Amino acid sequence: MEYMVREGEMPLTDKLQVLTDAAKYDVACTSSGVERKGDGRSIGNCVAAGICHSFSGDGRCISLLKILLTNECIFDCKYCRNRHSSDIPRATFTPEEICTLTMEFYRRNYIEGLFLSSGILRSPTFTMELIYRTVWLLRNQYRFNGYVHVKAIPGADPEVIERTGYLADRMSVNLELPTAEGLRTLAPNKHRKNILTPMRQIQNGIQANKNDLILYRNAPKFVAGGQSTQMIVGATPESDYQIINVAEGLYRKFGLKRVFYSAFVNVTGDKSLPALPGGPPLLREHRLYQADWLLRFYGFRAEELLDEKRPFFNVMLDPKEDWAVRHLGDFPVEINRAPMDRLLRVPGIGVKSAQRIVAARRSGNLTFQDLKKIGVVLKRALYFITCSGRMMYPVKLDEDYIVRNLTSEKDRVQFGSDGMTYRQMSLFDDEMFSRPVTVTEKQQVAVGQL
Amino acid sequence: MTVYRCVDTLESVFTAIYLAYEEKRDHGDTILSLTNDPILFAEDVEVRPDEEKTRKVMNTLKRRFGEEDCLRLCMALAANDTEKAQAVYRTVVEGLRRGCRPGHLFDNLADDNIHRAFALARGVSTEAGHQKQFLRFQELENGVLYSRIGPKNDVMVFLMPHFADRLSIENFMIYDEKRNLFGIHPAGKAWYLLRGEEADRPGQLQYSAQEPVYQELFRHFCHTITIKERKNAKLQKGMLPLRFREYMVEFL
Repeated sequence: MEYMVREGEMPLTDKLQVLTDAAKYDVACTSSGVERKGDGRSIGNCVAAGICHSFSGDGRCISLLKILLTNECIFDCKYCRNRHSSDIPRATFTPEEICTLTMEFYRRNYIEGLFLSSGILRSPTFTMELIYRTVWLLRNQYRFNGYVHVKAIPGADPEVIERTGYLADRMSVNLELPTAEGLRTLAPNKHRKNILTPMRQIQNGIQANKNDLILYRNAPKFVAGGQSTQMIVGATPESDYQIINVAEGLYRKFGLKRVFYSAFVNVTGDKSLPALPGGPPLLREHRLYQADWLLRFYGFRAEELLDEKRPFFNVMLDPKEDWAVRHLGDFPVEINRAPMDRLLRVPGIGVKSAQRIVAARRSGNLTFQDLKKIGVVLKRALYFITCSGRMMYPVKLDEDYIVRNLTSEKDRVQFGSDGMTYRQMSLFDDEMFSRPVTVTEKQQVAVGQL
Repeated sequence: MTVYRCVDTLESVFTAIYLAYEEKRDHGDTILSLTNDPILFAEDVEVRPDEEKTRKVMNTLKRRFGEEDCLRLCMALAANDTEKAQAVYRTVVEGLRRGCRPGHLFDNLADDNIHRAFALARGVSTEAGHQKQFLRFQELENGVLYSRIGPKNDVMVFLMPHFADRLSIENFMIYDEKRNLFGIHPAGKAWYLLRGEEADRPGQLQYSAQEPVYQELFRHFCHTITIKERKNAKLQKGMLPLRFREYMVEFL
């Protein structure tokens, strides 16, 4: 395969800038899922939890060297900065440049590995082949043993994708938009089927590889860190309910490790895209991530969180609080008795706290003080739990009351203030009503002065 | 009451725990102290660190409580805290008394001492994690990678295995400027620690020619990857506390 190297065209600094700028909207960038020791001959190892090496000005983690191989793309997706018809500087890395950058950054502990995506250069298969060659070079010639995350290009030859899978730790295919309809309107060159095919292929590959590994311990590993995907939120009119249903389907049917949500940023100014004067829908993205965690770690199902009639998440409450106040019949939960799955449904109790509670209550009854030590967020949990049959404060299990306390800062139950009241203030609480009417006032009313 | 006067090392504290059991002290009436504050009506025992006794205690802890909890105890002892010896001692006594199974030493977080040791270990573990994230190597003229850190707790021993595994074919050195402690890893060999004298503090270092080039590239990268529309300095500060930034090349 011939590959044109255009020497002297652009200095490396500019290239890095152009191709980083082109890759920055891709959020599926973590370094987790693989535990691999160094082998003593090459550079690098992998830590299952992943390591973030820095945080950029927007607060997102910098874990991998996130770049595009090229932004000279033949596709014309309306939401994408690198679309064929947009007027931006274009550049292409050579495989050697990518390898050198990765190795030198990695030695200095700047990054955890490489995240390689690409615009479509000539054809999907050609692009995938280039990605494969780069990763092959990095693994075999530069002896890099750290984390590698690559994109599987939809529409590429399955054989190339499979070869790449044996070199990468994680692969991802971007779903881009939650529904096929949205994809049709905004990404005319992409098809839902083309996206789901490589996703299925990788899933089957991982499964087959697991069986191989049982038989042969030293069989080469295929996409050991699993696969992920991302969806753009807010570019098309899908509801939150549709989005988390799609996410749930991906976790169940495609065995994905992660689904990422990316608040839409209008970078192309295309007329078919929403204008978003208030900035990207960050709160919506945040709520979707919270719901995503509930799906993966807390045993919630998508239809418990939202339904056809309430297709969007509550702006004021997080999805777990929202679920809890709508199911007050399940509360309060007794900390010293309740099984793990019920503890997990209490707002303010996370997976770790729930595990610690279950471990600690073997040694004796827990009190609210102990819960604080364990790490339970009492200001959220106190409405939903009892310790040995008692609530922390005399609160009442009433939806309006709890919502008011969870949402507004100044109405919240003040900690340590005893003798607090839970009654709502009403017009008739006013002390003026209990004061007897004076004689002067009676006279004033009689002569019409009051 | 008995007070074992230890110094701030793992050996010293473990030796004291060994002595407390060997001399059959009443554990409820015994204190491990890292300071020299006098305590009324107490019998002071000066602890001389002993390698053999330390190893014995370490083996017992590993056998009874498991590798993970033993590591947590060691982490608690690396914390920058004067009460840590007592908390670890009480945790060990409690664990042995109850005969808890491996991996369950820190179950009873309602107990003050156990919670204290747990919290200290968690703090050290978090800081070690932060250093693994934010520590930056710079290449010296002779090809050695050099890094300067200033951690609150003594996390060097928890960093070295991580980097020795990762950069096994590199010569590298981590320097803890708060404790004047060097972690040194010669390529392909085992790592070791070196405690320097005041005169040993590294002065002006000669960096390789490539070093500023890659620093500049990384600075560009960090700058470019930020999405302007999502700017959030508060979140960045929460994830990457300011105290680390003076050691990081992208913030220089």
